[in-house]
Amino acid sequence: MTMYGFHGRFLHVDLSTGKLSWRELEESRLENFLGGIGLGTSLLYEFAPAGVEPLSAANPLIFTSAPLVGTGLTTTAKYAVVTKSPLTNFIADSLSSSFFALELKRVGIDALVITGHASSPVYLFVEEEKAELRSADELWHESASETETLIRAQNEDPAIRVASIGLAGENCVRFATISNEGRHAGRGGVGAVMGSKNLKAIALRGHAQVPVADPRGVAAIAASLRERSLGTLTAKYREIGTVANLAVFNQLGALPTRNFQQATFEHAEGVSGESLTENNFSRKQGCASCTIRCERLFKSLSGDEQRLEYETLFALGPLCGVQDPEIVLQAARLCDHYGIDTISTGGTLAWAMECAEKGLLPEAAGLRFGQGEALLQMISLIAERSDLGTVLAEGSRRAAALTGHDAAYWAMHVKGLEMPGYEPRSLKTMALGLAVSPRGACHNRSGAYEADFSGAVDRLKGGADRGALVKASEDFNATLDSLIVCKFLRKCFHDFYSESAELLERVTGWRYSDADLRRTGERISTLKKLFNIREGWQPADDWLPMRLLSEPIRDGVAQGVELSADELREMIESYYRARDWNENGFIPESKLRQLGLEVR
Amino acid sequence: MSNKKPTDERSAIILAGGRSSRMGQAKALLPFDGEPLITHIVRSLKDIFADVVVVLAPGQDVPVLPVTFVRDEVAYQGPVSGIYHGLKAAKSDVSFVGSCDVPFLNRTLISYLCSQIRDHDVVVPYWEGRYQPLFAIYRKDVTSYLHAQLQRGELRPIFLFDKVRTRKIEEEEIRRFDPEGLSFLNMNTPEDYEAALQRWRQIRRTNATEDQSIVCTVELFGVARLRAKTKAVTLELPRNADLVKVFFALADRLPTLVGSVIAPDRESLVAGQACNVNGRDFIRDSTTKIHSGDRIFIVSADAGG
Repeated sequence: MTMYGFHGRFLHVDLSTGKLSWRELEESRLENFLGGIGLGTSLLYEFAPAGVEPLSAANPLIFTSAPLVGTGLTTTAKYAVVTKSPLTNFIADSLSSSFFALELKRVGIDALVITGHASSPVYLFVEEEKAELRSADELWHESASETETLIRAQNEDPAIRVASIGLAGENCVRFATISNEGRHAGRGGVGAVMGSKNLKAIALRGHAQVPVADPRGVAAIAASLRERSLGTLTAKYREIGTVANLAVFNQLGALPTRNFQQATFEHAEGVSGESLTENNFSRKQGCASCTIRCERLFKSLSGDEQRLEYETLFALGPLCGVQDPEIVLQAARLCDHYGIDTISTGGTLAWAMECAEKGLLPEAAGLRFGQGEALLQMISLIAERSDLGTVLAEGSRRAAALTGHDAAYWAMHVKGLEMPGYEPRSLKTMALGLAVSPRGACHNRSGAYEADFSGAVDRLKGGADRGALVKASEDFNATLDSLIVCKFLRKCFHDFYSESAELLERVTGWRYSDADLRRTGERISTLKKLFNIREGWQPADDWLPMRLLSEPIRDGVAQGVELSADELREMIESYYRARDWNENGFIPESKLRQLGLEVR
Repeated sequence: MSNKKPTDERSAIILAGGRSSRMGQAKALLPFDGEPLITHIVRSLKDIFADVVVVLAPGQDVPVLPVTFVRDEVAYQGPVSGIYHGLKAAKSDVSFVGSCDVPFLNRTLISYLCSQIRDHDVVVPYWEGRYQPLFAIYRKDVTSYLHAQLQRGELRPIFLFDKVRTRKIEEEEIRRFDPEGLSFLNMNTPEDYEAALQRWRQIRRTNATEDQSIVCTVELFGVARLRAKTKAVTLELPRNADLVKVFFALADRLPTLVGSVIAPDRESLVAGQACNVNGRDFIRDSTTKIHSGDRIFIVSADAGG
């Protein structure tokens, strides 16, 4: 029977044996988990042995496509990478986008599951029915962008699409990324897992088409969403990009600065998105199949172009006390070059800067808040894993444990994942979202900040109403990330669940109601948690760094605002209640059954 | 006169050449708030309009004022003639036309009327069953019609409204800015004058301060800042102003934001833009009152990134 929207199979690559096999994907799994992060989580749960060491051969590295990829629907050229994170020891689910995502679907698979460990550097080449492991000796130590160029040149085929790791991934820096076309599956250290397998790159070339059940219906919805994607709801992304957040967050006392010692940055104006746009803007570009085109390239004094997002700008700027946009651009370029997550890089360096200012880390000479040159130098040391970089490549949690003293107090992470640029004390719904997110301190798997920015809740006060808000946001994002639709399109839906259900039905031919899709989102969120529980999750893991619970905000409009442990605990309990979990955050059997999650 | 820079490039025309027969003395020179009424009115309008024209009857005396004076060719020919001569002398294509016997000028209402001109020729309030042609906006283009009316002897301005593109402002719209319709309270008799003075003193007492207006700062971020090419503007608003009035005044000051940041009705923001007051609260209810000194941030409603 013809399958619509999916190929119904995945490619399993065992790097240890070199065996490649195409295997069937059960229809029920695709119906229940869709693609992207849902499908990836489902495969992770099956392929990862319980308690697997993230950087060991047994940890599966999973790439997934999704039903909407290739349908022409705006913002859907995306893929997911799912594995067990070497940073958190819990789930790592990252997204990246553009042409590699389209090519992944074109090679005739819905997922790629990579296990094992190659004895020498290899890259995987897939051209539909042909798949092989090739030597990557000549690619080793090259940057991701250079690797893409070299693979295309070696194969004399400019249409090959490549996802690869840079030096940081090779060296198993715990926050290394996987990169394609300048974009990154950035968070959680998926690049380290790839590097630990001696897998430098994945190169794809395909022609396979996936039919959709109702091409005219899909085209009509796509046309409508394309039109909506060009309205005022996406103007921020189309006209300035995510860097617009910085100046606003600063005014709201929500801009983490100098390792969360401040909530405003006195030099914010100079590194604001508006200033960068006025002074450094070079051009905009976008992913494949995207009408929003949010990417902004900024030009540094040297004339080089650099892509910059809010998170990168915040993490390498205010978080490290850096006020010179030129340094931020250079630092971002280095992170891209080596393939490391800019948020974790900034977070770990900010931690190290505070250590150095407090007289710890004697080897961190010159590393101080605002010291740009030292920051740039340290990024290279991290990627090379040399000198102090050996410690910092472990991320802030492990580095703090190695350093001792009180250094864990100012290691700003949740579950080991460094915090993004949202101050939890002045964004209380976000505080809960960050504390409970299965992948650690994450601003993408739930958009809990939306409640804080909506005026619907008092952002400076927590409350038992937040649990339901965070649950809804997580489930919504789990659905979005599994269809996959870019977050920047999310507000263009009139009614997300009913419109997406209709879209999915027209793509797959399977019956979906908005209630089905809501349950799918909840199922995916719950399976992530279930995976974490299997890997040793304990209630104490859903918590925030001590600094946030001990120090009031000392500057800006939110000066004096605190987040108490009781306030956080009340919100966490309300979240567990909203999820029908028990009071300690474990999932009752009845809930699993209700969601159709069979436990092995 | 005030040193503040006028916010509107358009013109204001005051018809001061009426007969004042029932009043028994020249209305323009009635003492009001310690100065001649005409001076009081010009002072108010000068804060808004760069160009003010006062139309006088032949030989009429008035104080020295920083305005353009024009005189009706024929005395007491009525408002059509006054509007005609005023429009001809006005520097701008669009003018507010008022009269010298209406002391309670509501600047927010005037700004609103100005904003409604768009592709109309006349914007005229309709209050308590009557058009208010002497508190209305006219395009210079209508002078040819007025001239023809004068030729035909049609001395009432409302004959114009059927002939050109007229935007009628309904009572309910007016009440948003001027609940009691004080803007249309003119004085024809000594009793009217006494009542107006009493009302003025009452308003003065109600307002604890001398100044009726409040001042707030609107700070622009992201799309708004890039479009407006400015980071912040200071707005003077009536006491008890709410966010609707802020958006309205902002649209007036920065018309480039209408459509991209401020909704075409000028009373709300477009979907995708949000408003935060003093960095503390995001405000969804646009009837929220604004206080003097407030900082109002116009930001993207989407904090994602």
